[in-house]
Amino acid sequence: MNIISNFITMNGYGAYVWLSFSVVLISCAVVYFKTRKTLKKYEQEFLVELQTLTLKEKNKALENSKVARQILATSSKTN
Amino acid sequence: MLNFFSSSNIYSVIEKILRFINSIFFLILIIGLTFALVLSPPDYIQGDSVRIMYVHVPSAWIGLACFSLITLLSVLNFIFKIKNFYFINKSIAPIGLLFTCLAIVTGALWGQPTWGTWWAWDARLTSMLVLMLFYIFYILVFKLLNKKELIIKISSIIAIVGSINLPIIKYSVEWWTTLHQPASIKITGSSSIHSEMLLPLMVMLLVFLLYAALIFLMKYKTEIIRIKKKNIRRY
Repeated sequence: MNIISNFITMNGYGAYVWLSFSVVLISCAVVYFKTRKTLKKYEQEFLVELQTLTLKEKNKALENSKVARQILATSSKTN
Repeated sequence: MLNFFSSSNIYSVIEKILRFINSIFFLILIIGLTFALVLSPPDYIQGDSVRIMYVHVPSAWIGLACFSLITLLSVLNFIFKIKNFYFINKSIAPIGLLFTCLAIVTGALWGQPTWGTWWAWDARLTSMLVLMLFYIFYILVFKLLNKKELIIKISSIIAIVGSINLPIIKYSVEWWTTLHQPASIKITGSSSIHSEMLLPLMVMLLVFLLYAALIFLMKYKTEIIRIKKKNIRRY
């Protein structure tokens, strides 16, 4: 019990230590999810743009762009 | 050889690295946190407040490293005009800003129990604040300007001018009398930190580096998709 209490209070420095780690972890998590959301948004926009092409243009784009093929493959995996 | 550095190849390499980092990141994070919060000993003077070092020091190092890299790539971009460097710098800058801000905030949280103050206008703290401002100016250039050539020019000037601040940050604790302690870890010469604290610090540094790589790769991938989207009708 004493060990747990010491771990939480950190011998009087608990507020500073836990706040430091929390600030870092929360900020990093927020940046991670925001970056991931932006990436997904651009992937979706790319796919929408791909859908607006005619079949011929679309096939040509997929044939010439490895990135386009990969985005399409990733989206069909996740959907 | 040059074909390997095409955006298509880079994109597939990024995918693989992202998958790898995602698969190991949480395990290393848990190990790092266990070392930092449980296994590492308290300092004989600072007590348990020394644990803040495990998030403060890696943040400061990465903040400095990102700006150094931005400066280097800006200079190379000026000379060799490699367009990928523009996107790399654009992706690195927010990471550098994040870690510089975290170093300042965790430094304040460490300063209060050890120095009795959250902030002092001393050389190390002020030069870190200046670095944060340079990051903000640098990012604002990308946000506010539209012409790519102008962005490259102004952002490179900011990076090169800002790089003058880097040795000031590094040597501020030696050149001036500051509240901040001198470096405990030296690349050349012996470090004054005990191995029981050095190991957790290195594990936490690895965690932060993996995180920085993760964010950088996601941002860089976003840039590639943005360019491909713009050029989709040209195929």
